[in-house]
Amino acid sequence: MSHLHIPDGVLPWPLWGSAWAAAFVILVVAGVIERGASPRDIAIRGSIGALVLAAMTLAIPVGPFEYHLSLLGPVGVLLGATASFEVLFIVASILAFAGHGGFTVVGLNALLLGAGAAVARPVFRLAVPRAGVAAALAIAAAVSQAAAGALWAVVMLMALRESPAGRAALGWAGGVAAAVWVGGVIVETLVALAVGRFLARVKPELFGAVGVPAAAARPAGG
Amino acid sequence: MLDVIGRVDLAAASGGTVWHRASALGKLGLAALLVLLAVFTGSLPLLVSLHLLAWTLALTSRLPLRVTAAMLGYPLVFTAVFAVARWDGTLATPLLLVLRPTTACLSAAWLVATTPYPDLFAPISRVLPSRIADGLFMTYRALFELIARTERLTRALRLRGGIGGGWRRRVQASGDSVGTLVLHSFGRSERMYAAMLLRGHSGRVCGCRHYAETGTGDVWVAGCAAAALLLTLALGGFR
Repeated sequence: MSHLHIPDGVLPWPLWGSAWAAAFVILVVAGVIERGASPRDIAIRGSIGALVLAAMTLAIPVGPFEYHLSLLGPVGVLLGATASFEVLFIVASILAFAGHGGFTVVGLNALLLGAGAAVARPVFRLAVPRAGVAAALAIAAAVSQAAAGALWAVVMLMALRESPAGRAALGWAGGVAAAVWVGGVIVETLVALAVGRFLARVKPELFGAVGVPAAAARPAGG
Repeated sequence: MLDVIGRVDLAAASGGTVWHRASALGKLGLAALLVLLAVFTGSLPLLVSLHLLAWTLALTSRLPLRVTAAMLGYPLVFTAVFAVARWDGTLATPLLLVLRPTTACLSAAWLVATTPYPDLFAPISRVLPSRIADGLFMTYRALFELIARTERLTRALRLRGGIGGGWRRRVQASGDSVGTLVLHSFGRSERMYAAMLLRGHSGRVCGCRHYAETGTGDVWVAGCAAAALLLTLALGGFR
């Protein structure tokens, strides 16, 4: 239910073609920004990319549906915008090889997911002095998922507008998209809150890279 | 979905079909051709023909049928929603919408079921920025260990009653599980980095170099590519 991975042949080619071009430019720019990344950083990104894929197997029952996590917020906070984009591009590519999202739309899928992850760290940094690590991670996850989900819905509705029948269905399709969007934001936020509490208790040093000292990240009495 | 990746990886590494003896580069080219033809054509007869060709490829790859069906599940469900939303009273529109992604998916299934991942990623890594290419190899390598870890974690949660209970408990259990996986990922990356240093990592993960070596299977790959192009010409796929 959460997956933002769009298959081949659904969207008009100017949309996915320009998204591929934009994704490639961003990858090149990210390469310049992250040129100082060490082999250790690359190893961490590889493991986090695998984590994103593995987390998708954790199904959370939500009524009649099963929700599969995307973890955009925690990944965006832990890695930052550029590294997250690289990781999510790789995730979208591997998923395309598994038939989960198309080859032609790897760029678009990476852009949608990457846009969500890109806002996570700035939101986290804004929220952490007042809310603490766990709540700030939850807020970052909420904003990330809301951004990625909203962009996904916009792309889907744009594709529907291509045909008269699709335009007629915009009302109910928009309702379905809104329900999926709200459900995704709620589940990702709650899980990120639990992840934040767990990490703050067990490994607060992880938030050092985001500028939160371990002593500040650790919960009171933890 | 990750179980599918595991099964496909096994098929790619252990299969002995004619496709397994073809070069990765040739198979990538054929898969790309089929995907692009399927996405761009507006001709239903051509799309049906390409779809049948893709089914033939997938079935002859010896990938178990249920794995192929599992791979098809996601694009089918996704485009079914789209087909309903764009229903215009004709059969052609929903067929075009459903056949495009499923043809692409079957082509992908054939490609990944007959090509081990180092061969598959090696030519792709030549056109991607170096760190992305390295990340592709490392993510894939880390994936199976994390899948196993996630499965063990989920089983332990089930046995200890962590899956049941109210939504608050389920979300808390999921959060703790993901947190555990995050910690494991960081620990794993440290071990991987240490192993890279020990093995004399030169700053670049290199894929194998025999992805372009041609074999007897390439004749069949070229034949399929020619068939797809002839079908496109014969059925006026882009008129």
